[in-house]
Amino acid sequence: MSFEDELLGEFVVESNEHLADVENQFLAIEEMGENVDVDLVNTVFRAIHSIKGAAGFLGMTKINDLAHALENLLNMMRNLELTPTSEIVDVMLRAADRLKGLIGDIQNSNEADVSGHVAALDAVAAGQHASANASGVDAAAPAIDEPTAAVEEPVIAKATAVQPTPPMVPSTTEPEAVVETSAPPAAAADSADKQVAPATHADASIRVSVGLLDKLMNLAGELVLSRNQLMQVVGAQAGGGMEGIAARLDQITSELQESIMQTRMQQIGTVFGRFPRIVRDLGAKLNKECELLIEGKEVEVDKTIVEAIGDPLTHLIRNSMDHGVETPQARIAAGKSPQGKLHLRAFYQAGKVRIEIEDDGAGIDPRKLREKAVSKGVITPEESEQMTEREAVRLIFHPGFSMAAEVTDVSGRGVGMDVVRTNIAKLGGTVDVESTVGQGTNIVITLPLTLAIIPSLIVQVRNDRFAIPQVNIAELVRVRPQEFHERLGRVKDAEVLRLRGSLLPLVRLDAALGMQPAADAKSVVDGEGDATNIIVVESGRQQFGVVVDELHDSEEIVVKPLGRHIKDGSCLSGATILGDGHVALILDIAGLGSNQEIRSSDDKREEEHRLGVGAQEMQSVLLFTNHEHESFAVCMDVVSRIERVRSDQIDSVGGQELVQYRNSTMPIIRLEEVITAKPGERPKQVYLIVFETAGKEIGLVAPNLEDIRDVPVDFDTITFREPGVLGSLVINEHATRLVDLFNLAEIAHPDWFEAKKFDAADDGLPPLILLAEDSSFFRKQVAHMFVEKGYRVVECEDGLEAWQALESGEHEFDLIVTDIEMPNMNGFELCRNVKQSAVHAHLPVIALTSLAGSADVQHGLEVGIDDYQIKMDRDRLLNAVHNFAGQHAGNNQPRQLANA
Amino acid sequence: MATKVAPTNHERPAGEVQFATFYVGDILLGIDIRHVQEINRQLEVTRVPHARDEVRGVINLRGEVATVIDLRKVLGLPSADVTRESRNLIVNYDGEAIGLLVDRISDILTINAEQIDPPPANVRGIDGRLLTGVHTLASSIVVLLDIEEALGAASYAE
Repeated sequence: MSFEDELLGEFVVESNEHLADVENQFLAIEEMGENVDVDLVNTVFRAIHSIKGAAGFLGMTKINDLAHALENLLNMMRNLELTPTSEIVDVMLRAADRLKGLIGDIQNSNEADVSGHVAALDAVAAGQHASANASGVDAAAPAIDEPTAAVEEPVIAKATAVQPTPPMVPSTTEPEAVVETSAPPAAAADSADKQVAPATHADASIRVSVGLLDKLMNLAGELVLSRNQLMQVVGAQAGGGMEGIAARLDQITSELQESIMQTRMQQIGTVFGRFPRIVRDLGAKLNKECELLIEGKEVEVDKTIVEAIGDPLTHLIRNSMDHGVETPQARIAAGKSPQGKLHLRAFYQAGKVRIEIEDDGAGIDPRKLREKAVSKGVITPEESEQMTEREAVRLIFHPGFSMAAEVTDVSGRGVGMDVVRTNIAKLGGTVDVESTVGQGTNIVITLPLTLAIIPSLIVQVRNDRFAIPQVNIAELVRVRPQEFHERLGRVKDAEVLRLRGSLLPLVRLDAALGMQPAADAKSVVDGEGDATNIIVVESGRQQFGVVVDELHDSEEIVVKPLGRHIKDGSCLSGATILGDGHVALILDIAGLGSNQEIRSSDDKREEEHRLGVGAQEMQSVLLFTNHEHESFAVCMDVVSRIERVRSDQIDSVGGQELVQYRNSTMPIIRLEEVITAKPGERPKQVYLIVFETAGKEIGLVAPNLEDIRDVPVDFDTITFREPGVLGSLVINEHATRLVDLFNLAEIAHPDWFEAKKFDAADDGLPPLILLAEDSSFFRKQVAHMFVEKGYRVVECEDGLEAWQALESGEHEFDLIVTDIEMPNMNGFELCRNVKQSAVHAHLPVIALTSLAGSADVQHGLEVGIDDYQIKMDRDRLLNAVHNFAGQHAGNNQPRQLANA
Repeated sequence: MATKVAPTNHERPAGEVQFATFYVGDILLGIDIRHVQEINRQLEVTRVPHARDEVRGVINLRGEVATVIDLRKVLGLPSADVTRESRNLIVNYDGEAIGLLVDRISDILTINAEQIDPPPANVRGIDGRLLTGVHTLASSIVVLLDIEEALGAASYAE
């Protein structure tokens, strides 16, 4: 069924509902005569008005005309300008019947003729009460009315019963009307035939009042609650065959609850349907051309959400049209097609609904927003400076902020975006904005599927339990006391959690909720005692960890509103009753985050770099022992995989050990052969750490694997200094040597690596690399590696230093190799500066990272980073350097140093 | 557990009004019985972070979450511990069931409207604006609480 058909179907169902009572109401009005009940007239008026409005919207002109004429009379009645008499009501009843007939055969309604009815109604309105012409249409009307009217026989009978009043003196307009009414029978008969089908068609669904559904919903909620209580009791006292019954009840309750929820679900398309028109009209008004592309109309969300999201979405679409999409001239000037594109998408994502409004317009300029925010006193100049670009763009959600350069009547009176955000937040949703200057803006709204029953995790702080909606929960992290030192830290005053290479701000729920710190509380950072439970939550782009005392079960909770005395609590979004009958408050994660001034992790990271207080860089390493008392580590980044082989699979051919592997042979290395190490154990089975270099796969024998973990990169590069060893660190009280797999391979097979070196000299200098890296360990390693390969290197400790080196003009660089995470100026900023500068824009930039996160890569591409390489993956890095330096070097062809 | 108090004022002779009376500290207070929904001793509340002082917490009132207000705080009296005699007086305030924590329930008082005197500016430390009047008994006075004022003052309604 097409969307239009669906709308039409809905219109039919709805109109029939409006008309179902209309006869009785007309008759009641008639009976009251002079003492007409204005409220009743009003009710009917609104019903007819709704039909008129919807019909007009759907282009059902005849229905619209007829409803309009009827509405007109009702309007006069409610204003007491017209006293209902039998004659008048008669005309109205006939008109209503005809209206039903038209709606019953909606597809052909536009071909029908209603002029007789309209004329009769208009005549009444004009003061010529009732009429002969109304009876004139009689002949036509019943012909089509009969089939639908069958069930309403008694009413019709009554209507005709009151009819016998003699017709009034024919009016002057009458002849006209009669002429017009001479046509209808044919059309009416025609439509009567086709009408049977739709009548049965509508039976597949019935309309139920929302009040009833709400009640069902509440009852289901109570049932869920009772079920939860029962399950707890049954869980506590097993036996007696109760479990089976309880389990069945559990299942049925869940299904019932789901089905009832389903009754409240509506397609979001009912909201989207209005936008093509809005975009069209606005386009005309603003002299802009814009195509609206809608996806995901079929996505279903709770009725309350569908109802409430309309206005915010309309506002956002208007905004995009007004501020986002440029005029055709401006677009052509910017090298875009004159017609703008507006994408409206809805889709499910992780149990939520995501709606995006994306335009390909001018984007939002963070610089302008900053200036404006400062000039309006929204933020201070200092705050403006501290702000990341993303935060600056988010200023559009700030109260009292309009993003239009000039105020228009379409949008942008400085109210709006903050209201949009507030309204969406009320629905438990979030809104965020992404924008690229010149390329467009994407507004992202995330909404829950339903508001009434939400799966939540129950947590405890002190003696109080709280519910955290599952939609907000990204993961649970448990930090054991012995890991505190590694995983928890402080950035300025804020506690943070190290999670896969990034720093997550922590919120201690007890403190956030204003509870006294527990008597035995120890700071997470220097604490001992129990493991710390951290719930990683997210709201929009914000992500942070919530520290709680205890985790309980996940429960489906029924949201109950809080009383008026507690409305101010921005950390709470409601309450629920737990299985044991106690009340638990529901935490509002967005509110909690903004209360604690948590910024998104991206922002946080950017800030850390700016302030130069970044956490220690971490490197993921694989730990193993060769000999019982000798621990080693290798960087995980360069490990292709780990294999387990039997010792008897290892053959020795001409002094080289090989293992048969996937129809080929793989050379293997033993540590004691290449570095100072005790001979490894020779158990029946060993692990092979497989890596790739010089186009070959090589296996390093590791008799015992211990662990994989993230360690800080402040390695000791002195104590165990020898070729093949990068440095050492202490892990679990053991000195552990970090070995360089590539170097090991080179030591074992120097012949494999010769091809890589530069061709023999001619004059001129080798390529000059600008290396920016804050970790001295990595800087030395990488620089050493480059120098070894014949490049010249200038080393800088951070992006700023590198930028100054560039700007000084002292050297003529061929290539920039930069770390991402650095203080003062990070790799992204450095790259952005380089690419935006006229002098240096041509320089290729290779970014080094210890973890190639896709978000970083994306960000990197945006600022113009040419290539990403993993720090410890020597071969690839050298290859990339070789390619870029060779490709670029204009004056300085890659050449070998004389002594290389 | 819950003592239902029926709103029976409709059947009273004209001019007669009933008050549920109770003690907060040693002050005898009365509330128009038509406001009173029930009295219970569900004193274990769930505390609400960041709520204002008067809010003692929330309770599960047969499936709904009701706020419990500490009447002592509203009246500006020093707080006291919950005792065996403490009760929640559940009142219906503008459609919402709200619990009032009181120290002890007393009687139902049936009096004539004429027997109510206008409140003085201050009765034993209680702001007269929170009162609808006072009624003098043989040995003491009953301070009649204006529920709208008392709860309105504590609410954040704007």
